[in-house]
Amino acid sequence: MSLPQQQHEPADEIVPAVRIRDLRKAYGAFEVLKGVSLDANDGDVVSILGSSGSGKSTMLRCINMLETPTGGEVSIGGETIRMKQTKAGPKPADRAQVDRLRAHVGMVFQSFNLWSHKTVLENVIEAPLHVQGRSRAECVEEAKELLAKVGIGDKLNHYPIHLSGGQQQRAAIARALGQRPRVMLFDEPTSALDPELVGEVLKVMRALAEEGRTMLVVTHEMGFAREVSSKVVFLHKGVVEEEGRPDKVFSSSRSERLRQFLMR
Amino acid sequence: MDFSFFLSAFLRLLPGVPLTLQLAFVSVGLGMVLALILALLRLSRIRPFEWIARAYIFLFRSTPLLVQIFLIYYGLSQFPTVRYSVLWPILRQPYWCAIIALALNTAAYGSEIIRGGLRSVPEGQIEAARACGMSRITVFRRIVLPLAIRQALPAYGNEIILMVKATALASVITMMEITGLAAKLISESYRAVEVFVVAGSIYLIINYVITRVIHLLEYWLTPHLRSVSTPVVIEREDAA
Repeated sequence: MSLPQQQHEPADEIVPAVRIRDLRKAYGAFEVLKGVSLDANDGDVVSILGSSGSGKSTMLRCINMLETPTGGEVSIGGETIRMKQTKAGPKPADRAQVDRLRAHVGMVFQSFNLWSHKTVLENVIEAPLHVQGRSRAECVEEAKELLAKVGIGDKLNHYPIHLSGGQQQRAAIARALGQRPRVMLFDEPTSALDPELVGEVLKVMRALAEEGRTMLVVTHEMGFAREVSSKVVFLHKGVVEEEGRPDKVFSSSRSERLRQFLMR
Repeated sequence: MDFSFFLSAFLRLLPGVPLTLQLAFVSVGLGMVLALILALLRLSRIRPFEWIARAYIFLFRSTPLLVQIFLIYYGLSQFPTVRYSVLWPILRQPYWCAIIALALNTAAYGSEIIRGGLRSVPEGQIEAARACGMSRITVFRRIVLPLAIRQALPAYGNEIILMVKATALASVITMMEITGLAAKLISESYRAVEVFVVAGSIYLIINYVITRVIHLLEYWLTPHLRSVSTPVVIEREDAA
């Protein structure tokens, strides 16, 4: 655990929490990402927008190597993930490095992906206990606090199937927080939810943003992107079409495509 | 009806129960380990491994267990290399031949059951495990295997019951388990129907107990699939 836990003190030299350079991903001849670069500093909340097929989820999933990029570079906390060339294309050179960096990156999925055979509490303590090797008592204590924070402190011993979608997603957020991550990745966290349950998840995400957490959020929630994020990135057909502060991007975007996207 | 004969037959067959259980459980245990290995080979995405597993499964599922028992017990001893090998002290005993045949056979069926269980694990849950930094081994040990076992348990329970019944075939290579003792008793008493009724009943009792144990195990392992009796659980916050 060599990485610093949280943001705040500005370091002498700013090391971006996540740094992406010229990221490329192709499935066969089809290029999903055509050279995307992005920096997220500690404390940044980056909203990633784009229509379906724009490559936004793929980009997010390349950060923790759930998708293997076919080109470019990803660094987490200043450490670049080493890649090697194989016959089947590029692969991470050192699986242990990837596992180690992933431990610092919390991921929240569209479909929650809680472990169905474990209770909510067990879900949250799993990574701290079995990846980071912290003591059980400490993990449980912290998990309870986190679950209370996301508003399901009374559901500790429930199994995921017995929770509503909104509660499951909040449990998944608590699970990611349990890793004490330097960065949180959200992959369309509210897209699988019934409309009336979206609010409770967004509320938790807002609270995290206010705490100063570093977050990269792929989302269709324009309200969240506009009000909460410090930076908005608009992807179109695998390239960054526009990026900047939300007030700029939303009010005076130069991109015709972004204007069209926002109209819908 | 001669109840005293039923009772005496029951008492004559009862000593065969430990051997039947031994044959069943030792072979199921060994077979399960082999089944897991075969299932992993089959899912390894490494061609030669896949083909070895496929060929094995094809061979052992497509030939009768009785034939396999005969071939291992009578067939292997035809080869001097086997007779002079270090394995001969094991392979010359009908007990181990029976166990080997049963284990090899159940491994073929078991591997297909386990493979089904492994494949049923939702991709998203595996991804979530990888995303939090678990190594491949940890993902397998903590997430994939526990979910696969829960999925495969009912079908595997079935396989265990089939194996208990399959031990009866060991009687043809001189094993004095329940069916072996029954055959012996029939040759003494010429009362085949009564003796087989008693033998069948003993298998029935054994399998009843095994069925209950598997049900219980399933119940313990799957609280996450049970509906909860407390109605508060499915309530939604916004309904309050």
